[in-house]
Amino acid sequence: MTVSGAFLLLLLFGASCLFALRASRLFAPIRMTARAQRFDRPGLRLAGLARAIGLHERLLQIRFAGIVHILIFTSFLVLASAIVQSFGAGLAPGFSLRPVGGDSWLAWLQDVFAVVMLTGVALAAWQRYVLKPDRFRGSNTTDATVIYLLIAAIVGGMLLEAALSIVAGTSASAAWRPVSRSIAALLSATGLSAAAAARGAAAAGWVHVCAILAFLVYIPGSKHRHMVLAFANVYFRDLKPKGELAPPEAPSASLHPLSWKDALDLYSCTECGRCQAACPAYAAGQPLSPKLLIMDIRDWATARGEGERGPLIGGAVSRETLWACTTCRACMEVCPVHIEHLPKIVDLRRMLVDAGDVDPLLQSALTNLQRSGNSMGQASKMRARWTRGLPFKIKDARKEPVDVLWFVGDFASYDPRVQETTRKVAIALSEAGVDFGILYDGEQNSGNDVRRAGEEGLFQTLAQRNIETLAGCRFRRILTTDPHSFNALAQDYRQLGARFDVVHYAQLLLELIEAGRLRLKPAAGQTVTYHDPCYLGRYNGGFDAPRKVIALAGYRLREMGRCRENSFCCGAGGGRIWADDSGVKERPSENRIREALSLGDASLFVVACPKDKVMYKSAVEALGVDDRIEVRDLIELVEVASSS
Amino acid sequence: MNVLVALRLVPDVSGEIEITEDEKDIDREWLDLRLNEFDDYALEEAILLKERGDAKVTAIAIAGDGVERMLQSALARGADEAVKIAWEGDAPPSSRTAARLFAAGARDLSADLVLTGVLSSEETYGQLAPFVAAALDWPCVSSVNEVRVRAGVCEVVQELSGGATATIRMATPAVAGMQTASRPVRYVSGSKLREAAGRNIPTLQLSVEAADERAERLRVSLPDSSQRANLLPSDVNAAAAALRQILTEHGLWKA
Amino acid sequence: MGNVLVFVEERDGEIAPTSREALGAARTFAAGVGCQVEAIVLRAEAAPRPIEAPGADVLLCVTHPTLANICPEAALAVVESVVRQREPAAIVFTYDAVGLDLASGLAMRADRPLLSHVIGFAVQAGQIEARSQAYGGKAIVESRAAFPVVLTLMPGAFKEAAGRAAPEIVELEPPERLDRLRTEFVAETRQDTSGFDLTVAEKVVCIGRGAADESTLALARGLAATLGAEIAGSRPIVDKGWLPKERQVGKSGRKIKPKLYLALGVSGAPEHLEGMSGAELIVAVNTDPSAPIFGVAHYGATVDLGAFAIALGAALKAGA
Repeated sequence: MTVSGAFLLLLLFGASCLFALRASRLFAPIRMTARAQRFDRPGLRLAGLARAIGLHERLLQIRFAGIVHILIFTSFLVLASAIVQSFGAGLAPGFSLRPVGGDSWLAWLQDVFAVVMLTGVALAAWQRYVLKPDRFRGSNTTDATVIYLLIAAIVGGMLLEAALSIVAGTSASAAWRPVSRSIAALLSATGLSAAAAARGAAAAGWVHVCAILAFLVYIPGSKHRHMVLAFANVYFRDLKPKGELAPPEAPSASLHPLSWKDALDLYSCTECGRCQAACPAYAAGQPLSPKLLIMDIRDWATARGEGERGPLIGGAVSRETLWACTTCRACMEVCPVHIEHLPKIVDLRRMLVDAGDVDPLLQSALTNLQRSGNSMGQASKMRARWTRGLPFKIKDARKEPVDVLWFVGDFASYDPRVQETTRKVAIALSEAGVDFGILYDGEQNSGNDVRRAGEEGLFQTLAQRNIETLAGCRFRRILTTDPHSFNALAQDYRQLGARFDVVHYAQLLLELIEAGRLRLKPAAGQTVTYHDPCYLGRYNGGFDAPRKVIALAGYRLREMGRCRENSFCCGAGGGRIWADDSGVKERPSENRIREALSLGDASLFVVACPKDKVMYKSAVEALGVDDRIEVRDLIELVEVASSS
Repeated sequence: MNVLVALRLVPDVSGEIEITEDEKDIDREWLDLRLNEFDDYALEEAILLKERGDAKVTAIAIAGDGVERMLQSALARGADEAVKIAWEGDAPPSSRTAARLFAAGARDLSADLVLTGVLSSEETYGQLAPFVAAALDWPCVSSVNEVRVRAGVCEVVQELSGGATATIRMATPAVAGMQTASRPVRYVSGSKLREAAGRNIPTLQLSVEAADERAERLRVSLPDSSQRANLLPSDVNAAAAALRQILTEHGLWKA
Repeated sequence: MGNVLVFVEERDGEIAPTSREALGAARTFAAGVGCQVEAIVLRAEAAPRPIEAPGADVLLCVTHPTLANICPEAALAVVESVVRQREPAAIVFTYDAVGLDLASGLAMRADRPLLSHVIGFAVQAGQIEARSQAYGGKAIVESRAAFPVVLTLMPGAFKEAAGRAAPEIVELEPPERLDRLRTEFVAETRQDTSGFDLTVAEKVVCIGRGAADESTLALARGLAATLGAEIAGSRPIVDKGWLPKERQVGKSGRKIKPKLYLALGVSGAPEHLEGMSGAELIVAVNTDPSAPIFGVAHYGATVDLGAFAIALGAALKAGA
């Protein structure tokens, strides 16, 4: 081993130790629990990882940024060979990648991708410093700058070394290095001597290697950890259905140990801000940015590792932040490294609820739910009052068998603004000859939003009661008019051992229309737009049935930009409809209506969720645009033969 | 200090109510039962005393439908113990019998302070707190917003009309009728309630001389509706327009 | 048969308005039965000027140092002793903090019937039939009881009595219990009027239990702002901490007489009505058509609160 080789080895050793030290500081303080059983189905996990990396699906949602990432990412892969080359040659003289094309096509690739890399970094820098997209607000610019500089140093060093070797005449791959040759030509033109070039090449080589080592040492403290961690994070992603929330580890855990998967999430974050851009709470001006939330928890965890004992809730993360979330899941849908923001928010909410730390309005709703099974504080026995005035008596599913058991839901039952729609559904079902029944006052709130508001105990109570009541009934399918109930019944209740065949009424309407059992109102050729409810669409994949109904009804559908998986939440979910909205600058529902209006020609705003109906009607009235757009529930597109 | 909190379940009359056919009672078939709101404040104040380190709290109620669950949630709220008084009758006891039962309970459990709500919606024939105090010959203060205790002494803040208050000191044992608590009633999470749902509530056998209400209930009716307000149209927008007109006419709104 | 005894409360040396009403009710009773009205007055020392008790035939005065301020135990001991001495047909209190303790305490100790929350009555030989409010004012209970009976009257339900010739003054011995009381008055505080004062607001929008969710609360605030009104709340709203105490309307909050009182989701329990029934224009919105508030409101609507608040806001902002 030569002197320089030994020196390099020392540096390498030193850098590795520093790297290990810094990396260990991240994970050591976080107590690793057995939670997160993520070692199942390796085949499925790998396939998903391959797709995520190979197709760059989520990254390409923002075309420009996605392309820049492809440039940099692929360059990294190719230039990894250059790192092997440099260290190999530095430590073991005679080491060469020649056998694998190191002096031929590999060299060519390295040269070309060096340019690709520098182009990518330049574009990234331009995006960050000139375009300044809003999603980067709050992200760590210094970190990005250091990375750009280090990469530039690494790649620049590599190119310079190659170029100077060519000038010095010591390059074995000159024929395959077009870029380096061009640089060499420029350098030669300055009158550089071969000897000086040889010395320069060595120096450039050291710059190259030291920059690499500096990068190595820098990575654990930088968002560039994602280079290593992202693969793991995507591999260990949650394979459960989106609508199923994990129960808490211990019934009322007051200490909050982050699991290893949580730690992985926190340190995989690249601060790209896609989640922030998708978040309806953030758009409303509330103090929640999913990106900043992850960054804050991450920084808290790191500080913890260094001995700081500040609180998480009320310290690193404020209560207002936690309560602002509507649980719409848009953040998780767009995150390129599959970070799980939502379960963390719910877990922290669980801690607050267990301690009784909830604001008065939410407390009132939860107390009402505890007492009478609905959030409005109305008598449980008044649940089926909306059926008064119907020309027929709806079967009591508790007493006789039915084909379809209709789980109506709180809002559809109790809220006077929605009851009319509920009645229309009942009349339509009756006229289509559907054998259906309801649970009358045996029905309780499904618990979907209760669970997501962090009240796990109350959720279990409500769910158990509903499951017991349903166990005493005979039916083939459960129908819901409320996507939130749909999600609870189809997803969460499975954890309690209850498997139901649940159908949303959009699907049932479609079936009935296609079978000719329901007629559609003739559309006056209107153009409409459709809002995908979070819990039907993004959570449960129910995008097509409502669209088919709209099409069959003869309307022309114009999609809003944020549609299907990217639908923009109305702001009511996750318990928000029971919360104080004094921190809201612009309601998400108003933001959405303006999006619909910007289409220019949509005169109807079609919804398929009772909360959406309430929220958007309010928004239209608040904006004063009821002459330009009208909110209609899907059922209102259906003709009821003897409708009044 | 031993604090006893007397809890009662009452019909939830926050919605519409109806009268029975024989006009002797409100129709309870459509009504849920709930913990009397003022008793809820009494429980909260007792828990606050306990948290200050000054008291041990026992929740007590007369056996009946739903009482067991109510007492279990009192435990979830923070009461140290909960106990139910045996009652065999078909109908609930009269207000005087109930008072005597609670009084006997207070003696039996060596209570130093009895807290209960100042009113309940069903107290046409007398209020519980002063009844209990009279049965025990203990001092009593009603309409209390705040309770503090030290050895042998209970200091309360009584709310008078117009926002004025009086601070009054009683030598224990004593009784207070709570109007509100020093702090809003706290939230108890569903998981705590579930934990408490398994707890056993012991029964206390007490015998007291029964007493009737000393008055006869003749009839229950809905208030006279002849003095009804002028109703605005039932369409929301028409009602709003009508009100705007009315406000303008009264000089309360400038168009 | 004995007389009708009225417990008279004094504040700042003057007879309380509710006691005037009690005396008025007692006069009606006395006329129906054919007896006299006796008023009990508690004092710490001899009054510097004659005590007012319009409607009373006899003034029963009990003087003792412990009677200087409110002391429930002392008052109860005095009333019990007076009742034993005078053997009245009826003893009348008002429904307020003091009356609650005294009426029930007396009824239990003397083993007499008690009719509470009374808004009207009729007397016959030896018995009374009374109408009482119950269930937050949503129902009326009619009861019958034999004399001697204890009554607690609702404020505002009876008319004050006209003055009469100067009553006969009788001094009664204070009971010896007053020397071994276990209750002691410590201090009294008045309402702090240096802060926000709801009583000067000309327009008030008051929210009640029925307005208890996110959107309606915000809408009520917005509506108040549009109207140039102050936002206020009924007792349950303040007890929950949603509005501060200075904005509470009712028996234990502020009594106000604004030009406009818009009640949203307020049921109208008697304690609340006490705080606002004197308002010039009362408009009530409540989805429950049998809510007692409609009994005092000039205008009412049984529409959904949220929808109405939005519609009204829009109607006000729109041009003529």
